[in-house]
Amino acid sequence: MTRRSVLQLIVIGAVAGALATVVALALPWLPHVASKEGERIDFVFWFVTWICIAVFAIVAAVLGTALLSFRVPLDDDQDGPPIHGHTKLEIWWTAIPAVLVTAISIVSAVVLAENGKATANPIRVNVYAQQFAWTFQYPGYKNVSLPNLYLEKGRSVELTLRSRDVIHSFWVPQFRQKQDLLPDQDTKLIITPTLTGEFPVICTELCGLGHAVMRTRAIVMTPDGFASYMTKATKPQKLSGLAIFAAQGCGSCHTLSAAKSSGVTGPDLDYLAAYAKRAGKPLDAFVRESILAPGAYIEPGCANTMPPNFKELIQPKQLDALVAYLVKNGTKTTAHKGCG
Amino acid sequence: MTAHAATEHHGPPPAHQSSRVDARVLGMFLFIASEIMLFGSFFTALFFVRVVKAPPEWPPAGFHLPILVAGINTAILVTSSFTVHWALTSIKRGSRRGLQAGLVLTFLMGLTFLITQMIEYARIGFAPHDNAFATTFFCLTGLHGAHVFVGLTLLGMATVRAFRGHYSADHHHGVEIPGIYWHFVDVMWIVVYATVYIL
Amino acid sequence: MTAVTEAHPGAAHGAGPRGWGHLRSPGFVRALWMTPLFGAIGLGLVLFFRWLGHYDPLWKWETITTVAFLTMMPLGFLAGIGSFDYWASYAIGRPTPEHEDHSSHGAKSWRDYFRVNTDHKVIGVQYVVTTFFFFVIGGLMAMLMRAELAQPGTQYLNPQAFNDVVSAHAGLMIFLFIIPSFAGLANFVVPLMLGAPDMAFPRLNALSYWLLPIAGVTFLAGFFAPGGFGCGWTNYPPCSTSAPWGNIFFSMGVQWAGASSIMTALNFLVTIITMRAPGMTFWRMPLLVWANFTTSMLVVVATPFIAGSQFFVMFDRVMHTHFFDPSHGGYVLGYQHIFWFYSHPAVYIMMLPGFGIMSEVIAVNARKPVFGYRLMALSLLAILVLGFSVWAHHMFVAGMAPWLRVPMMVTSMIIAVPTGIKIFSWLATMWAGRIRLTTSFLFACGFISMFVLGGLSGIYLASVPIDIQASDTYFIVAHIHYVLFGGSVFTIFAGIYFWFPKMTGRMYDERLGRLHFWLTFIGFNATFFPMHLIGLDGMPRRVADYAPRFADFNLFISLASFLLGASTLVFFYNMIKSWRSGPPAPANPWRALTLEWLVSSPPPIFNFDAIPQVVGGPYEYGVPGARHAVLESETMHAVEPEEVEKSE
Ligand code: HEA
Ligand code: HEA
Ligand code: HEC
Ligand code: CUA
Ligand SMILES: [Cu+2]
Repeated sequence: MTRRSVLQLIVIGAVAGALATVVALALPWLPHVASKEGERIDFVFWFVTWICIAVFAIVAAVLGTALLSFRVPLDDDQDGPPIHGHTKLEIWWTAIPAVLVTAISIVSAVVLAENGKATANPIRVNVYAQQFAWTFQYPGYKNVSLPNLYLEKGRSVELTLRSRDVIHSFWVPQFRQKQDLLPDQDTKLIITPTLTGEFPVICTELCGLGHAVMRTRAIVMTPDGFASYMTKATKPQKLSGLAIFAAQGCGSCHTLSAAKSSGVTGPDLDYLAAYAKRAGKPLDAFVRESILAPGAYIEPGCANTMPPNFKELIQPKQLDALVAYLVKNGTKTTAHKGCG
Repeated sequence: MTAHAATEHHGPPPAHQSSRVDARVLGMFLFIASEIMLFGSFFTALFFVRVVKAPPEWPPAGFHLPILVAGINTAILVTSSFTVHWALTSIKRGSRRGLQAGLVLTFLMGLTFLITQMIEYARIGFAPHDNAFATTFFCLTGLHGAHVFVGLTLLGMATVRAFRGHYSADHHHGVEIPGIYWHFVDVMWIVVYATVYIL
Repeated sequence: MTAVTEAHPGAAHGAGPRGWGHLRSPGFVRALWMTPLFGAIGLGLVLFFRWLGHYDPLWKWETITTVAFLTMMPLGFLAGIGSFDYWASYAIGRPTPEHEDHSSHGAKSWRDYFRVNTDHKVIGVQYVVTTFFFFVIGGLMAMLMRAELAQPGTQYLNPQAFNDVVSAHAGLMIFLFIIPSFAGLANFVVPLMLGAPDMAFPRLNALSYWLLPIAGVTFLAGFFAPGGFGCGWTNYPPCSTSAPWGNIFFSMGVQWAGASSIMTALNFLVTIITMRAPGMTFWRMPLLVWANFTTSMLVVVATPFIAGSQFFVMFDRVMHTHFFDPSHGGYVLGYQHIFWFYSHPAVYIMMLPGFGIMSEVIAVNARKPVFGYRLMALSLLAILVLGFSVWAHHMFVAGMAPWLRVPMMVTSMIIAVPTGIKIFSWLATMWAGRIRLTTSFLFACGFISMFVLGGLSGIYLASVPIDIQASDTYFIVAHIHYVLFGGSVFTIFAGIYFWFPKMTGRMYDERLGRLHFWLTFIGFNATFFPMHLIGLDGMPRRVADYAPRFADFNLFISLASFLLGASTLVFFYNMIKSWRSGPPAPANPWRALTLEWLVSSPPPIFNFDAIPQVVGGPYEYGVPGARHAVLESETMHAVEPEEVEKSE
């Protein structure tokens, strides 16, 4: 090992390390963190990142130096020195990574345990997922069911998650929390928001054709704002077609101007009247049938992908309201292509 | 063999035998290892629906397994392990009669086992699509049944060849290897019987 | 299994079949009538049993497809081309020759590559060419995906088609490219390296190969079935059990590919254990052989679990059983445990043979012995053992028993240690060597840098808190491609360049090779590095449509991926042109010591005139006068018989 190659080693290592550090710091790797759990997770993330930068710098340094210092022309016909190994060196590069990964494991385990603890008096929410909609039910607030997740800043929420059909996964990137929802057992998740605002709720488990659009929002409010919102939400309400439309996630596949939705997987519901005419059925019977048994009539150009389980999910009274709402708003009669 | 002679012959040079184990026997053992893992995956599925899912009763009310008949069937299968061993020792001694008798007996007992199993399926009173219990019962015993079938096929080949004058005191891998497989099928049945019927 | 030895020389060989003889003698003509015949038998069986059991629609497409089209027809095809001829005549008691006539061994013209051939060298080439064919198809699917993902919204693929394409892309890449192309390279090289005339079971070897096109066609046919198979390559229930019946094409494709893997692995194990040349102790085996030895053990033990998992899915679909149906006592997560108990080891099945290739390429081109040879071999075994104890790191957010998380995290982390040993030992091998920067060595360097990045992102994922954020996002997609493309595919490229002269007898073009490397390296990083970022930032995987704020990144990724795709064209051009008209290769262009380089390029039909004698380690570069092995012609003169005796 010549002095020159050692110097080269150090320089290349420093450059690689510096480059990696710049990449790590300059790019916005993680979205803005909005929960206590997320802050702890970010700590682990950076802890691992520093170790990885070091490992990468070492590898890059040796590789780079080897290529620069020890390269010979292709037709060179000499051999290198017959070095077969070096026990001490081998022990070091077994021991140091072992220590490092142990450290990572310990930090991760501690954070994991911490993240399993909620603040006193948490909000409890039952989260239900179905193709392709989310429902959030608040047992502490007269069991009200809401299409978005409403939270209070600084107060933990204990989510009990359950799927009504296939596997889905609940994720809010800013909270750094994710959990699958299973059809046959409850799963749990704790989130303690630290920022007010709106954050996306994303389904991350492939659950069918509407997987990409299976989204809703988590809305974090100040304690006062949350309290007053919940009082309003728990008051008995008139059955609102719009609320059901939103809660059932119809908008993720359908465009409906009245509901400000813009899904494109299914037909544009502004033109329901035109579809009904094409199908040769009275409008409200057509809409009802389309929701209860979507496969009965397939709009030309569309796939038979509308979930078939709304008949179990929507109560009769709600259905009446929903149908009335759609009949009222889907009035355009100009011919319109269903899908695509 | 000189280099010159080597260029003249039309086959490969005989391979160096670097292990005392015969390649075919080793191959069969490795195959059995992977078969054990296949059974392992089925037992794992059983473990999940029974132990992890922990239903209140197992078998569910109204589901009964004919433990006694299956027990007799077990005895038949275990005996056939001895007869196939007898066949092998016979040919090792050079006795073709013993070989033939042993193989035929084994084959018949295996067949009896398989037929009994099918009758059991027909009379058991439930079907694989009834519930998870029925599913695991049919799939585990069915997987085993398929293995009995394969074992019988191998034994059938050996039997045909035994009657056509193959095998001798020095050359009997064609009996030994199906024999090893047959022993595996038997042992596996004991495990299946114990976990599915008795436990 | 193989022959039981009796007298009688083999059947006459030589003159091929004529006229109607084609119908009876093994080949594609016979396959042409046997395939539908077997299909019809399968159909008859289904109808008979459904009639017997009073099943209501007698004609049920899903069952018929599974049994008749996806099981019986492939068997008919195999029987037609003659994969079973020997065993069939054995079964009905025909005498089998002591030493077979070798009529199906070796290739004299290109036609011999299109029939059942028992020569491991021919099979190796068949494997490699076939797998690259599927690589192109899988890659073109990736291009389709990237085209779709270049902008938010749906443009070219609707969600259904997108899911099909994602699943088929991964299925083809994993089961028909990475795993079998390693098997193909090893098929060519391992017997030569061991000083064996062929594999232990040549006919089984041929059968393993012919199962591959079947698996591939099954995967591709899935596109034409209702629903395709759109549940990802992981095929989780309830998605897979409730999807339209195109899904069985995935399950059956995996079964065929898995059967092929298991048979090849078994063949490798037996070959390595029983057919090493005299003097070739375990500690004198090249590390490529060690790598395939450990990989094969993984395959034999783990693959039955994916077979099991796909059986359960098929049973749930075809027989309406309830393995995973919660309403009848099934357990949804059971699938994931069983699947990952195979599929985690599978990622090492896709990496360890590459490690073996790296050891050869690096030692030969750096002109130094592999640093810490024994620890290199032992770390392979350590990865093998640890690999079975980490499966649940794919299920950190799946809702499995919470107590499993931390133990699985710790074991996953520990795998970094033996892997690190390998990385550092390769670096030490290069250090102070005399490095000849051939294309294969360039790919080795690319491999080391990229695989370390991929492995380190694996460390992020192994840490449960980070995985909770990263799971099922593009961060995973980035990890997958860093380890599989930057890892496995780079080693495959290195291996192809390294053994190309041996396989074809011709040299490839170094300049084009280097161009290929740099285009691939740049295209690869530009494609997959940004995925880490968009993943952590909130882009889930397996979506055809995404939030508009990711549009710029995705456009960039898509453009880069087209560059990556185009770089492959350079590779194919180089390979095809050099194969047809490259300069003839000498026996040992790299001055390597291992046995495959002692014979001509391409090797003679039976590899060696006589089994060589191994006299030393495989990597004694720089040791004056050191030999790994001597051929018989030399032993006569150069080495005294006593010496040979001693060295054994
Ligand atoms: C070739 C294939 C391959 C390889 C080798 C690996 C290697 C590793 N993988 Fe990867 N993995 C995949 C292929 C592979 N993976 C695939 C395909 C998936 C996705 C499946 C899907 O869902 O579709 C996946 C997913 C995956 C997950 C699940 C993520 C999720 O879905 O939520 C996890 C979690 O732990 C993980 C971890 C690891 C680890 C710890 C390693 C380790 O083996 C890496 C070890 C190597 C190093 C660490 C680098 C070298 C070491 C050093 C230089 C020493 C010093 C290092 C330190 C001190 C840290 N992988
Ligand atoms: C095994 C190895 C492997 C390989 C080699 C690749 C290669 C590539 N992969 Fe793949 N990929 C996986 C394994 C692999 N992938 C797996 C396991 C998944 C997970 C699937 C799942 O979620 O279930 C995945 C998923 C996956 C996704 C995520 C899909 C999603 O989650 O929605 C993406 C997206 O960009 C992607 C892209 C690519 C690209 C651009 C390449 C490129 O490298 C391909 C380059 C090759 C070619 C293009 C072919 C040859 C070239 C030509 C013939 C030249 C002519 C072509 C042009 C110039 C256009 N892959
Ligand atoms: C997965 C996406 C998806 C979701 C979610 C969805 N639909 Fe649909 N819908 C479709 C598709 C695709 C069609 C066209 C196929 C058909 O006619 O069944 C359709 C058709 C319809 C039609 C009939 C229109 C016609 O021309 O046939 C109505 C009415 C309708 N949907 C209402 C709803 C309502 C109300 C909801 C929510 C309770 C909803 N849909 C949820 C995809 C969806
Ligand atoms: Cu729900 Cu994806
Ligand atoms: Cu893994």
